[in-house]
Amino acid sequence: MKCPRCVQRIHRAAESCPHCGFTLADADAVFGHEEVRIKCLTDCAGILRRHDRERVEAAMEKISRRFPQVFVAIYTGSLGELTNLRQFGFWLLNRAAFEDVPVEKPNEAGILITIDPESKAAGIVFGYLLDPFLEESDTFDCLSRGHAYWLEERYADGIQRVLAHLDGILAKRSRQARRDPEPFERKVLPPVQTADLVRRIRLGHRRGVSSKSGETEVPR
Amino acid sequence: MKGFVAIVAGCLWAGGFAHAADEMPLPSWEPEVRKEMLADGWLAGADLLEGQSDDGLVLEPPNPEEISGDDTAVIEVPEEFLDAYFAARPEKFLIDPQGLLSEHEFRERLEFLDYHAGDSSIDLFVYLFQGDQEIPSEVRKDELAERFFSAGQPAAIVFYYLGAPQRSALFLSPSLTDAISASEQNRALESSVIQGGEKANPAEQLDRFLVQMSIRTYWMERKAGGQAMTSDGTREATALAVTPEVTAAKPMKFEALRQKLTEFAVPAVLLLVAFLGALGLRLWHRSRARYRFPDFEVEPRLGGRHAAGIGAVISFVNATQPPASQRDQMPDYLQRARPPSIG
Repeated sequence: MKCPRCVQRIHRAAESCPHCGFTLADADAVFGHEEVRIKCLTDCAGILRRHDRERVEAAMEKISRRFPQVFVAIYTGSLGELTNLRQFGFWLLNRAAFEDVPVEKPNEAGILITIDPESKAAGIVFGYLLDPFLEESDTFDCLSRGHAYWLEERYADGIQRVLAHLDGILAKRSRQARRDPEPFERKVLPPVQTADLVRRIRLGHRRGVSSKSGETEVPR
Repeated sequence: MKGFVAIVAGCLWAGGFAHAADEMPLPSWEPEVRKEMLADGWLAGADLLEGQSDDGLVLEPPNPEEISGDDTAVIEVPEEFLDAYFAARPEKFLIDPQGLLSEHEFRERLEFLDYHAGDSSIDLFVYLFQGDQEIPSEVRKDELAERFFSAGQPAAIVFYYLGAPQRSALFLSPSLTDAISASEQNRALESSVIQGGEKANPAEQLDRFLVQMSIRTYWMERKAGGQAMTSDGTREATALAVTPEVTAAKPMKFEALRQKLTEFAVPAVLLLVAFLGALGLRLWHRSRARYRFPDFEVEPRLGGRHAAGIGAVISFVNATQPPASQRDQMPDYLQRARPPSIG
Protein backbone atom coordinates (compact mmCIF):
# COMPACT_ATOMS: atom_id res chain seq x y z
CA MET A 1 0.00 0.00 0.00
CA LYS A 2 1.55 3.17 -1.21
CA CYS A 3 0.72 6.81 -1.17
CA PRO A 4 -0.30 8.08 -4.63
CA ARG A 5 1.72 11.24 -4.17
CA CYS A 6 4.98 10.33 -2.47
CA VAL A 7 4.90 6.60 -3.40
CA GLN A 8 5.95 5.69 0.15
CA ARG A 9 4.53 2.75 2.02
CA ILE A 10 1.62 3.54 4.29
CA HIS A 11 -0.03 1.37 6.90
CA ARG A 12 -3.55 0.01 6.68
CA ALA A 13 -6.27 2.40 7.59
CA ALA A 14 -3.99 5.43 7.42
CA GLU A 15 -6.29 8.43 7.30
CA SER A 16 -3.56 10.42 5.61
CA CYS A 17 -0.08 9.65 4.35
CA PRO A 18 2.28 9.73 7.33
CA HIS A 19 5.05 10.94 5.00
CA CYS A 20 3.44 13.70 2.98
CA GLY A 21 -0.01 14.04 4.52
CA PHE A 22 -1.81 13.27 1.27
CA THR A 23 -5.55 12.58 1.33
CA LEU A 24 -8.36 12.44 -1.17
CA ALA A 25 -9.06 16.05 -0.34
CA ASP A 26 -5.77 17.00 -1.96
CA ALA A 27 -6.79 15.21 -5.13
CA ASP A 28 -10.21 16.83 -4.95
CA ALA A 29 -8.51 20.18 -4.85
CA VAL A 30 -6.87 19.38 -8.17
CA PHE A 31 -9.58 17.46 -10.01
CA GLY A 32 -12.77 18.61 -8.33
CA HIS A 33 -15.14 17.60 -5.55
CA GLU A 34 -18.04 16.63 -7.74
CA GLU A 35 -18.97 13.10 -8.72
CA VAL A 36 -18.09 12.29 -12.35
CA ARG A 37 -20.46 10.23 -14.51
CA ILE A 38 -18.55 8.20 -17.08
CA LYS A 39 -18.75 4.88 -18.86
CA CYS A 40 -16.51 1.94 -18.14
CA LEU A 41 -14.67 2.55 -21.39
CA THR A 42 -14.06 6.24 -21.72
CA ASP A 43 -11.77 7.13 -24.60
CA CYS A 44 -11.32 10.85 -24.14
CA ALA A 45 -7.95 10.71 -25.94
CA GLY A 46 -9.57 9.13 -29.00
CA ILE A 47 -6.97 6.45 -29.39
CA LEU A 48 -9.38 3.57 -29.96
CA ARG A 49 -11.15 2.98 -33.25
CA ARG A 50 -14.57 1.44 -33.42
CA HIS A 51 -13.25 -2.03 -34.08
CA ASP A 52 -10.69 -1.59 -31.30
CA ARG A 53 -13.41 -0.54 -28.89
CA GLU A 54 -15.33 -3.71 -29.59
CA ARG A 55 -12.31 -5.86 -28.89
CA VAL A 56 -11.50 -4.02 -25.69
CA GLU A 57 -15.11 -4.15 -24.51
CA ALA A 58 -15.19 -7.89 -25.16
CA ALA A 59 -12.09 -8.36 -23.02
CA MET A 60 -13.61 -6.23 -20.25
CA GLU A 61 -16.84 -8.17 -20.47
CA LYS A 62 -14.96 -11.43 -20.18
CA ILE A 63 -13.43 -10.37 -16.86
CA SER A 64 -16.81 -9.23 -15.57
CA ARG A 65 -18.27 -12.60 -16.52
CA ARG A 66 -15.52 -14.70 -14.97
CA PHE A 67 -15.29 -12.57 -11.83
CA PRO A 68 -18.87 -11.63 -11.06
CA GLN A 69 -17.88 -9.28 -8.22
CA VAL A 70 -15.37 -7.32 -10.27
CA PHE A 71 -15.52 -4.86 -13.15
CA VAL A 72 -12.84 -3.18 -15.24
CA ALA A 73 -12.89 0.45 -16.30
CA ILE A 74 -10.55 2.08 -18.80
CA TYR A 75 -9.97 5.78 -19.10
CA THR A 76 -7.78 7.33 -21.78
CA GLY A 77 -7.12 11.04 -21.80
CA SER A 78 -4.51 13.72 -21.82
CA LEU A 79 -4.04 14.80 -18.26
CA GLY A 80 -1.67 17.68 -18.81
CA GLU A 81 1.61 18.55 -17.22
CA LEU A 82 0.37 19.26 -13.74
CA THR A 83 -1.44 16.01 -13.28
CA ASN A 84 -0.03 12.88 -11.71
CA LEU A 85 -1.47 9.70 -13.18
CA ARG A 86 -1.39 7.83 -9.88
CA GLN A 87 -3.31 10.57 -8.06
CA PHE A 88 -5.73 10.92 -10.92
CA GLY A 89 -6.55 7.22 -10.91
CA PHE A 90 -7.02 7.25 -7.16
CA TRP A 91 -9.32 10.25 -7.42
CA LEU A 92 -11.31 8.92 -10.39
CA LEU A 93 -12.08 5.54 -8.87
CA ASN A 94 -13.36 7.28 -5.74
CA ARG A 95 -15.34 9.98 -7.48
CA ALA A 96 -16.60 8.28 -10.64
CA ALA A 97 -20.09 6.91 -11.12
CA PHE A 98 -19.87 4.29 -13.87
CA GLU A 99 -23.10 4.41 -15.82
CA ASP A 100 -22.91 0.97 -17.38
CA VAL A 101 -21.90 -0.95 -14.26
CA PRO A 102 -24.66 -2.75 -12.35
CA VAL A 103 -25.58 -1.27 -9.02
CA GLU A 104 -24.50 -4.41 -7.18
CA LYS A 105 -20.95 -3.76 -8.27
CA PRO A 106 -19.69 -0.79 -6.33
CA ASN A 107 -16.45 1.00 -7.10
CA GLU A 108 -14.78 -1.07 -4.38
CA ALA A 109 -14.83 -3.92 -6.92
CA GLY A 110 -13.42 -1.82 -9.73
CA ILE A 111 -10.09 -1.97 -11.50
CA LEU A 112 -9.30 1.25 -13.31
CA ILE A 113 -6.70 1.41 -16.06
CA THR A 114 -5.66 4.91 -17.01
CA ILE A 115 -3.73 5.68 -20.17
CA ASP A 116 -2.31 9.07 -21.06
CA PRO A 117 -1.08 8.88 -24.68
CA GLU A 118 0.35 12.40 -24.52
CA SER A 119 2.69 11.85 -21.60
CA LYS A 120 2.96 8.17 -22.65
CA ALA A 121 2.14 6.68 -19.29
CA ALA A 122 -0.33 4.11 -18.01
CA GLY A 123 -1.39 3.14 -14.50
CA ILE A 124 -3.71 0.84 -12.59
CA VAL A 125 -5.77 1.54 -9.50
CA PHE A 126 -8.09 -0.95 -7.77
CA GLY A 127 -10.81 -0.87 -5.15
CA TYR A 128 -10.87 -2.14 -1.61
CA LEU A 129 -12.38 -5.51 -2.57
CA LEU A 130 -9.19 -6.43 -4.35
CA ASP A 131 -6.89 -4.80 -1.80
CA PRO A 132 -5.87 -8.10 -0.18
CA PHE A 133 -5.43 -9.91 -3.48
CA LEU A 134 -3.50 -7.58 -5.70
CA GLU A 135 -0.01 -6.26 -5.18
CA GLU A 136 1.65 -3.39 -6.93
CA SER A 137 4.01 -5.88 -8.57
CA ASP A 138 1.00 -7.71 -10.03
CA THR A 139 -0.25 -4.55 -11.66
CA PHE A 140 3.23 -3.84 -12.99
CA ASP A 141 3.35 -7.30 -14.57
CA CYS A 142 0.05 -6.61 -16.24
CA LEU A 143 1.18 -3.25 -17.59
CA SER A 144 4.42 -4.75 -18.83
CA ARG A 145 2.42 -7.02 -21.12
CA GLY A 146 1.00 -4.02 -22.91
CA HIS A 147 4.20 -1.98 -22.93
CA ALA A 148 5.53 -3.18 -26.31
CA TYR A 149 2.19 -2.52 -28.02
CA TRP A 150 1.77 0.91 -26.54
CA LEU A 151 5.23 1.85 -27.75
CA GLU A 152 3.88 1.23 -31.25
CA GLU A 153 0.63 3.04 -30.40
CA ARG A 154 -1.32 -0.19 -30.72
CA TYR A 155 -3.36 0.69 -27.66
CA ALA A 156 -6.17 -1.85 -28.08
CA ASP A 157 -3.72 -4.72 -28.45
CA GLY A 158 -1.86 -3.56 -25.37
CA ILE A 159 -5.06 -3.32 -23.32
CA GLN A 160 -6.08 -6.80 -24.42
CA ARG A 161 -2.76 -8.22 -23.27
CA VAL A 162 -3.03 -6.41 -19.96
CA LEU A 163 -6.51 -7.72 -19.33
CA ALA A 164 -5.56 -11.26 -20.32
CA HIS A 165 -2.75 -11.27 -17.81
CA LEU A 166 -4.94 -9.65 -15.17
CA ASP A 167 -7.47 -12.41 -15.72
CA GLY A 168 -4.82 -15.02 -14.99
CA ILE A 169 -3.63 -13.30 -11.83
CA LEU A 170 -7.13 -12.80 -10.48
CA ALA A 171 -8.06 -16.43 -11.12
CA LYS A 172 -4.93 -17.61 -9.35
CA ARG A 173 -5.55 -15.39 -6.34
CA SER A 174 -9.16 -16.42 -6.17
CA ARG A 175 -8.19 -20.10 -6.05
CA GLN A 176 -5.55 -19.39 -3.40
CA ALA A 177 -8.04 -17.41 -1.31
CA ARG A 178 -10.61 -20.17 -1.56
CA ARG A 179 -8.09 -22.75 -0.34
CA ASP A 180 -6.60 -20.59 2.39
CA PRO A 181 -8.12 -17.16 2.95
CA GLU A 182 -6.19 -16.42 6.13
CA PRO A 183 -3.03 -14.92 4.58
CA PHE A 184 -5.17 -12.54 2.58
CA GLU A 185 -7.29 -11.64 5.55
CA ARG A 186 -4.23 -10.85 7.62
CA LYS A 187 -3.24 -8.24 5.08
CA VAL A 188 -6.30 -6.15 5.79
CA LEU A 189 -6.85 -6.78 9.50
CA PRO A 190 -6.86 -3.59 11.54
CA PRO A 191 -3.53 -2.94 13.26
CA VAL A 192 -3.20 -4.44 16.72
CA GLN A 193 -3.76 -1.87 19.47
CA THR A 194 -1.57 -1.76 22.59
CA ALA A 195 -4.61 -2.29 24.85
CA ASP A 196 -5.36 -5.54 23.06
CA LEU A 197 -1.84 -6.79 23.67
CA VAL A 198 -2.10 -6.07 27.45
CA ARG A 199 -5.44 -7.81 27.62
CA ARG A 200 -4.04 -10.94 25.95
CA ILE A 201 -1.05 -11.05 28.29
CA ARG A 202 -3.30 -10.76 31.37
CA LEU A 203 -5.55 -13.48 30.02
CA GLY A 204 -2.57 -15.75 29.59
CA HIS A 205 -1.48 -15.10 33.18
CA ARG A 206 -4.91 -15.88 34.53
CA ARG A 207 -4.96 -19.19 32.61
CA GLY A 208 -1.59 -20.15 34.08
CA VAL A 209 -2.70 -19.46 37.68
CA SER A 210 -6.02 -21.26 37.33
CA SER A 211 -4.37 -24.37 35.90
CA LYS A 212 -1.88 -24.44 38.82
CA SER A 213 -4.61 -24.10 41.50
CA GLY A 214 -6.65 -26.88 39.83
CA GLU A 215 -9.57 -24.64 38.91
CA THR A 216 -11.61 -25.52 35.93
CA GLU A 217 -10.85 -23.31 32.96
CA VAL A 218 -13.84 -21.36 31.83
CA PRO A 219 -14.16 -21.41 28.07
CA ARG A 220 -14.35 -17.96 26.50
CA MET B 1 40.42 -12.45 -130.24
CA LYS B 2 40.46 -14.25 -126.90
CA GLY B 3 37.49 -16.36 -127.98
CA PHE B 4 39.32 -17.48 -131.06
CA VAL B 5 42.38 -18.56 -129.05
CA ALA B 6 40.21 -20.58 -126.66
CA ILE B 7 38.48 -22.39 -129.56
CA VAL B 8 41.84 -23.30 -131.10
CA ALA B 9 43.24 -24.57 -127.77
CA GLY B 10 40.11 -26.69 -127.22
CA CYS B 11 40.47 -28.26 -130.68
CA LEU B 12 44.11 -29.12 -130.08
CA TRP B 13 43.28 -30.69 -126.66
CA ALA B 14 40.49 -32.77 -128.22
CA GLY B 15 42.80 -33.85 -131.05
CA GLY B 16 45.42 -35.03 -128.53
CA PHE B 17 42.85 -37.31 -126.83
CA ALA B 18 41.90 -38.78 -130.20
CA HIS B 19 45.51 -39.48 -130.98
CA ALA B 20 46.16 -41.15 -127.65
CA ALA B 21 43.35 -43.55 -128.34
CA ASP B 22 45.54 -45.20 -130.97
CA GLU B 23 48.08 -47.17 -128.79
CA MET B 24 51.69 -46.53 -129.48
CA PRO B 25 53.74 -49.63 -130.39
CA LEU B 26 55.89 -51.10 -127.61
CA PRO B 27 59.62 -50.73 -127.96
CA SER B 28 61.41 -53.78 -129.30
CA TRP B 29 64.95 -55.04 -129.24
CA GLU B 30 67.15 -54.97 -132.24
CA PRO B 31 68.02 -58.64 -133.05
CA GLU B 32 71.81 -58.09 -132.54
CA VAL B 33 71.42 -56.28 -129.27
CA ARG B 34 69.01 -58.88 -128.07
CA LYS B 35 71.42 -61.68 -128.75
CA GLU B 36 74.16 -59.85 -126.84
CA MET B 37 71.95 -59.32 -123.91
CA LEU B 38 70.82 -62.91 -123.91
CA ALA B 39 74.42 -63.93 -123.98
CA ASP B 40 74.85 -62.09 -120.68
CA GLY B 41 72.06 -64.27 -119.30
CA TRP B 42 69.40 -61.65 -118.58
CA LEU B 43 67.22 -59.59 -120.85
CA ALA B 44 65.88 -56.52 -119.15
CA GLY B 45 62.14 -56.02 -119.57
CA ALA B 46 61.72 -59.34 -121.37
CA ASP B 47 58.68 -60.30 -119.23
CA LEU B 48 57.01 -57.00 -119.84
CA LEU B 49 57.98 -56.22 -123.39
CA GLU B 50 58.01 -59.60 -124.97
CA GLY B 51 54.61 -60.78 -123.64
CA GLN B 52 55.89 -63.81 -121.87
CA SER B 53 53.22 -65.89 -120.21
CA ASP B 54 52.94 -65.82 -116.33
CA ASP B 55 51.29 -69.18 -116.10
CA GLY B 56 54.05 -70.42 -113.81
CA LEU B 57 53.30 -67.72 -111.24
CA VAL B 58 50.46 -68.86 -108.88
CA LEU B 59 49.22 -66.46 -106.27
CA GLU B 60 47.65 -67.79 -103.09
CA PRO B 61 44.14 -66.54 -102.42
CA PRO B 62 43.81 -64.25 -99.34
CA ASN B 63 42.65 -65.96 -96.18
CA PRO B 64 39.63 -64.71 -94.13
CA GLU B 65 41.83 -62.88 -91.65
CA GLU B 66 43.52 -60.97 -94.48
CA ILE B 67 40.15 -60.09 -95.95
CA SER B 68 38.78 -58.88 -92.57
CA GLY B 69 41.97 -56.94 -91.88
CA ASP B 70 42.59 -58.73 -88.56
CA ASP B 71 46.17 -59.81 -88.61
CA THR B 72 46.06 -61.54 -85.20
CA ALA B 73 46.00 -65.19 -85.51
CA VAL B 74 43.28 -66.97 -83.50
CA ILE B 75 43.89 -70.32 -81.94
CA GLU B 76 41.15 -72.54 -80.73
CA VAL B 77 41.20 -73.81 -77.19
CA PRO B 78 42.93 -77.17 -77.32
CA GLU B 79 40.49 -80.00 -77.32
CA GLU B 80 42.12 -81.69 -74.36
CA PHE B 81 40.94 -78.86 -72.09
CA LEU B 82 37.41 -78.63 -73.33
CA ASP B 83 36.06 -81.16 -70.87
CA ALA B 84 37.76 -79.42 -67.99
CA TYR B 85 36.11 -76.21 -69.06
CA PHE B 86 32.70 -77.19 -70.25
CA ALA B 87 31.83 -80.73 -69.14
CA ALA B 88 30.13 -79.84 -65.86
CA ARG B 89 29.36 -77.05 -63.47
CA PRO B 90 32.70 -75.91 -62.06
CA GLU B 91 33.46 -76.55 -58.46
CA LYS B 92 35.69 -73.53 -58.12
CA PHE B 93 34.91 -69.98 -59.05
CA LEU B 94 38.04 -69.62 -61.15
CA ILE B 95 38.42 -72.11 -64.01
CA ASP B 96 41.93 -72.28 -65.46
CA PRO B 97 42.71 -75.81 -66.62
CA GLN B 98 45.39 -74.51 -69.00
CA GLY B 99 47.36 -73.07 -66.09
CA LEU B 100 47.51 -69.60 -67.60
CA LEU B 101 48.06 -68.07 -64.17
CA SER B 102 50.85 -68.95 -61.85
CA GLU B 103 49.89 -70.87 -58.77
CA HIS B 104 50.21 -67.84 -56.59
CA GLU B 105 48.18 -65.66 -58.91
CA PHE B 106 45.54 -68.32 -59.25
CA ARG B 107 45.23 -68.70 -55.49
CA GLU B 108 44.90 -64.98 -54.94
CA ARG B 109 42.16 -64.55 -57.53
CA LEU B 110 40.34 -67.58 -56.28
CA GLU B 111 40.43 -66.25 -52.74
CA PHE B 112 38.91 -63.04 -53.96
CA LEU B 113 36.15 -64.88 -55.77
CA ASP B 114 35.49 -67.01 -52.70
CA TYR B 115 35.26 -63.86 -50.62
CA HIS B 116 32.85 -62.39 -53.13
CA ALA B 117 30.71 -65.51 -52.99
CA GLY B 118 30.52 -65.22 -49.23
CA ASP B 119 29.56 -61.58 -49.38
CA SER B 120 27.22 -61.55 -52.33
CA SER B 121 24.18 -63.55 -53.19
CA ILE B 122 25.32 -63.81 -56.81
CA ASP B 123 28.33 -66.07 -57.39
CA LEU B 124 30.93 -65.01 -59.90
CA PHE B 125 32.43 -67.79 -62.09
CA VAL B 126 35.39 -66.84 -64.26
CA TYR B 127 36.60 -69.01 -67.16
CA LEU B 128 40.15 -68.10 -68.15
CA PHE B 129 41.42 -68.32 -71.72
CA GLN B 130 44.43 -66.98 -73.54
CA GLY B 131 44.03 -63.62 -75.14
CA ASP B 132 44.24 -65.10 -78.67
CA GLN B 133 42.21 -68.20 -78.00
CA GLU B 134 38.84 -68.92 -79.46
CA ILE B 135 36.22 -71.17 -77.92
CA PRO B 136 35.34 -73.87 -80.44
CA SER B 137 32.05 -73.38 -82.13
CA GLU B 138 30.76 -76.74 -80.97
CA VAL B 139 30.77 -75.40 -77.43
CA ARG B 140 27.58 -73.42 -77.27
CA LYS B 141 28.61 -70.98 -74.64
CA ASP B 142 25.27 -69.18 -74.74
CA GLU B 143 23.61 -72.31 -73.39
CA LEU B 144 26.29 -72.94 -70.81
CA ALA B 145 24.63 -70.77 -68.19
CA GLU B 146 21.32 -72.48 -68.74
CA ARG B 147 22.82 -75.95 -68.61
CA PHE B 148 24.90 -75.64 -65.47
CA PHE B 149 23.64 -72.64 -63.56
CA SER B 150 19.87 -73.02 -63.65
CA ALA B 151 19.91 -74.70 -60.29
CA GLY B 152 21.43 -73.43 -57.11
CA GLN B 153 22.79 -70.04 -56.30
CA PRO B 154 22.33 -67.33 -58.93
CA ALA B 155 25.55 -66.79 -60.83
CA ALA B 156 27.32 -64.47 -63.21
CA ILE B 157 29.60 -66.31 -65.64
CA VAL B 158 32.50 -64.49 -67.26
CA PHE B 159 34.68 -65.74 -70.13
CA TYR B 160 37.85 -63.80 -69.61
CA TYR B 161 40.70 -63.67 -72.12
CA LEU B 162 43.96 -63.06 -70.34
CA GLY B 163 45.64 -59.94 -71.69
CA ALA B 164 42.62 -59.07 -73.81
CA PRO B 165 39.87 -58.05 -71.37
CA GLN B 166 37.97 -56.36 -74.19
CA ARG B 167 37.09 -59.83 -75.52
CA SER B 168 35.38 -60.82 -72.27
CA ALA B 169 31.82 -62.07 -72.28
CA LEU B 170 29.26 -62.09 -69.48
CA PHE B 171 26.38 -64.52 -69.03
CA LEU B 172 23.87 -64.66 -66.19
CA SER B 173 22.09 -67.65 -64.77
CA PRO B 174 18.43 -67.90 -65.86
CA SER B 175 17.21 -66.79 -62.45
CA LEU B 176 18.79 -63.39 -63.04
CA THR B 177 18.17 -62.74 -66.69
CA ASP B 178 14.60 -61.61 -66.09
CA ALA B 179 15.58 -59.12 -63.46
CA ILE B 180 18.76 -57.77 -65.04
CA SER B 181 18.34 -56.22 -68.46
CA ALA B 182 20.80 -56.77 -71.29
CA SER B 183 21.81 -53.13 -71.18
CA GLU B 184 22.59 -53.45 -67.50
CA GLN B 185 24.73 -56.49 -68.22
CA ASN B 186 26.55 -54.62 -70.98
CA ARG B 187 27.23 -51.68 -68.68
CA ALA B 188 28.65 -54.02 -66.05
CA LEU B 189 30.91 -55.67 -68.57
CA GLU B 190 32.03 -52.40 -70.15
CA SER B 191 32.93 -50.81 -66.85
CA SER B 192 34.87 -53.92 -65.83
CA VAL B 193 36.73 -53.96 -69.13
CA ILE B 194 37.60 -50.29 -68.73
CA GLN B 195 38.92 -50.92 -65.25
CA GLY B 196 40.94 -53.89 -66.42
CA GLY B 197 42.32 -51.95 -69.38
CA GLU B 198 43.89 -49.43 -67.07
CA LYS B 199 46.63 -51.92 -66.22
CA ALA B 200 49.29 -53.30 -68.53
CA ASN B 201 50.07 -56.53 -66.73
CA PRO B 202 47.55 -59.28 -67.65
CA ALA B 203 47.30 -60.56 -64.06
CA GLU B 204 46.70 -57.05 -62.75
CA GLN B 205 44.16 -56.51 -65.51
CA LEU B 206 42.30 -59.55 -64.27
CA ASP B 207 42.47 -58.21 -60.72
CA ARG B 208 40.91 -54.89 -61.64
CA PHE B 209 38.39 -56.58 -63.85
CA LEU B 210 37.25 -58.91 -61.08
CA VAL B 211 37.00 -56.16 -58.48
CA GLN B 212 34.85 -54.04 -60.74
CA MET B 213 32.72 -56.98 -61.76
CA SER B 214 32.20 -57.82 -58.11
CA ILE B 215 31.00 -54.27 -57.48
CA ARG B 216 28.68 -54.40 -60.46
CA THR B 217 27.34 -57.71 -59.25
CA TYR B 218 26.33 -55.98 -56.04
CA TRP B 219 24.32 -53.47 -58.06
CA MET B 220 22.78 -56.28 -60.03
CA GLU B 221 21.76 -57.78 -56.73
CA ARG B 222 20.15 -54.50 -55.74
CA LYS B 223 18.53 -54.21 -59.13
CA ALA B 224 17.04 -57.63 -58.77
CA GLY B 225 15.32 -56.18 -55.71
CA GLY B 226 16.00 -59.10 -53.49
CA GLN B 227 14.06 -61.38 -55.80
CA ALA B 228 15.44 -64.06 -58.02
CA MET B 229 14.13 -67.10 -59.72
CA THR B 230 15.01 -70.48 -58.34
CA SER B 231 15.41 -73.64 -60.29
CA ASP B 232 11.79 -74.63 -59.98
CA GLY B 233 10.73 -71.27 -61.38
CA THR B 234 9.05 -69.96 -58.25
CA ARG B 235 9.84 -66.48 -57.15
CA GLU B 236 11.07 -66.33 -53.62
CA ALA B 237 10.84 -63.29 -51.44
CA THR B 238 14.57 -63.47 -50.97
CA ALA B 239 16.28 -65.91 -53.25
CA LEU B 240 19.58 -64.67 -52.03
CA ALA B 241 21.02 -67.56 -50.17
CA VAL B 242 23.10 -65.46 -47.83
CA THR B 243 20.33 -63.24 -46.63
CA PRO B 244 17.68 -65.64 -45.35
CA GLU B 245 19.32 -65.95 -41.96
CA VAL B 246 19.58 -62.22 -41.66
CA THR B 247 16.08 -61.56 -42.88
CA ALA B 248 14.70 -64.29 -40.73
CA ALA B 249 16.43 -62.92 -37.66
CA LYS B 250 14.95 -59.47 -38.02
CA PRO B 251 11.30 -60.52 -37.71
CA MET B 252 12.22 -62.62 -34.70
CA LYS B 253 13.96 -59.67 -33.14
CA PHE B 254 11.01 -57.34 -33.55
CA GLU B 255 8.34 -59.91 -33.00
CA ALA B 256 8.54 -59.65 -29.22
CA LEU B 257 8.40 -55.89 -29.41
CA ARG B 258 5.47 -56.01 -31.78
CA GLN B 259 3.60 -58.40 -29.52
CA LYS B 260 4.22 -56.17 -26.55
CA LEU B 261 3.04 -53.17 -28.47
CA THR B 262 -0.15 -54.87 -29.53
CA GLU B 263 -0.69 -56.05 -26.00
CA PHE B 264 -0.38 -52.60 -24.51
CA ALA B 265 -1.64 -50.60 -27.46
CA VAL B 266 -5.29 -50.61 -26.52
CA PRO B 267 -4.79 -49.69 -22.85
CA ALA B 268 -2.26 -47.05 -23.84
CA VAL B 269 -4.58 -45.50 -26.37
CA LEU B 270 -7.45 -45.58 -23.90
CA LEU B 271 -5.26 -43.99 -21.27
CA LEU B 272 -4.16 -41.29 -23.68
CA VAL B 273 -7.71 -40.58 -24.74
CA ALA B 274 -8.80 -40.43 -21.12
CA PHE B 275 -5.95 -38.08 -20.29
CA LEU B 276 -6.68 -35.80 -23.22
CA GLY B 277 -10.36 -35.89 -22.38
CA ALA B 278 -9.68 -34.96 -18.78
CA LEU B 279 -7.38 -32.19 -19.90
CA GLY B 280 -9.96 -30.84 -22.31
CA LEU B 281 -12.67 -31.07 -19.69
CA ARG B 282 -10.51 -29.23 -17.22
CA LEU B 283 -9.75 -26.48 -19.70
CA TRP B 284 -13.39 -26.18 -20.63
CA HIS B 285 -14.36 -26.10 -17.00
CA ARG B 286 -11.78 -23.42 -16.29
CA SER B 287 -12.95 -21.32 -19.18
CA ARG B 288 -16.47 -21.42 -17.79
CA ALA B 289 -15.44 -21.12 -14.18
CA ARG B 290 -16.60 -18.20 -12.10
CA TYR B 291 -14.19 -16.87 -9.53
CA ARG B 292 -15.22 -15.15 -6.38
CA PHE B 293 -13.19 -13.35 -3.76
CA PRO B 294 -13.85 -13.40 -0.04
CA ASP B 295 -15.21 -10.07 1.03
CA PHE B 296 -12.98 -8.86 3.83
CA GLU B 297 -13.59 -5.76 5.86
CA VAL B 298 -11.11 -3.15 4.72
CA GLU B 299 -10.79 0.11 6.53
CA PRO B 300 -10.71 3.11 4.20
CA ARG B 301 -7.41 4.88 3.68
CA LEU B 302 -6.43 8.39 2.71
CA GLY B 303 -10.06 9.45 2.81
CA GLY B 304 -11.04 7.35 -0.16
CA ARG B 305 -14.44 5.69 0.25
CA HIS B 306 -14.05 3.14 -2.54
CA ALA B 307 -10.42 2.69 -3.39
CA ALA B 308 -6.89 3.35 -2.28
CA GLY B 309 -5.18 0.45 -4.00
CA ILE B 310 -2.45 2.25 -5.83
CA GLY B 311 -0.97 0.05 -8.50
CA ALA B 312 1.98 0.57 -10.79
CA VAL B 313 2.52 3.35 -13.30
CA ILE B 314 4.59 2.66 -16.39
CA SER B 315 5.98 4.91 -19.10
CA PHE B 316 6.17 3.82 -22.72
CA VAL B 317 8.46 6.48 -24.04
CA ASN B 318 11.64 4.57 -24.79
CA ALA B 319 11.58 1.57 -27.09
CA THR B 320 15.15 0.60 -26.30
CA GLN B 321 14.72 0.20 -22.55
CA PRO B 322 12.81 -2.59 -20.83
CA PRO B 323 9.55 -1.87 -19.04
CA ALA B 324 11.20 -2.36 -15.64
CA SER B 325 13.45 0.62 -16.21
CA GLN B 326 10.45 2.69 -17.23
CA ARG B 327 8.49 1.91 -14.13
CA ASP B 328 7.42 5.13 -12.55
CA GLN B 329 8.38 5.12 -8.87
CA MET B 330 9.12 8.78 -8.65
CA PRO B 331 7.35 10.83 -5.98
CA ASP B 332 5.01 13.40 -7.26
CA TYR B 333 6.89 16.39 -5.92
CA LEU B 334 10.13 15.26 -7.56
CA GLN B 335 8.44 14.93 -10.90
CA ARG B 336 7.16 18.39 -10.82
CA ALA B 337 10.42 19.92 -9.75
CA ARG B 338 12.01 22.05 -12.46
CA PRO B 339 15.60 23.22 -12.56
CA PRO B 340 15.92 26.82 -11.45
CA SER B 341 16.31 29.25 -14.27
CA ILE B 342 19.79 30.64 -14.51
CA GLY B 343 20.00 34.40 -14.53
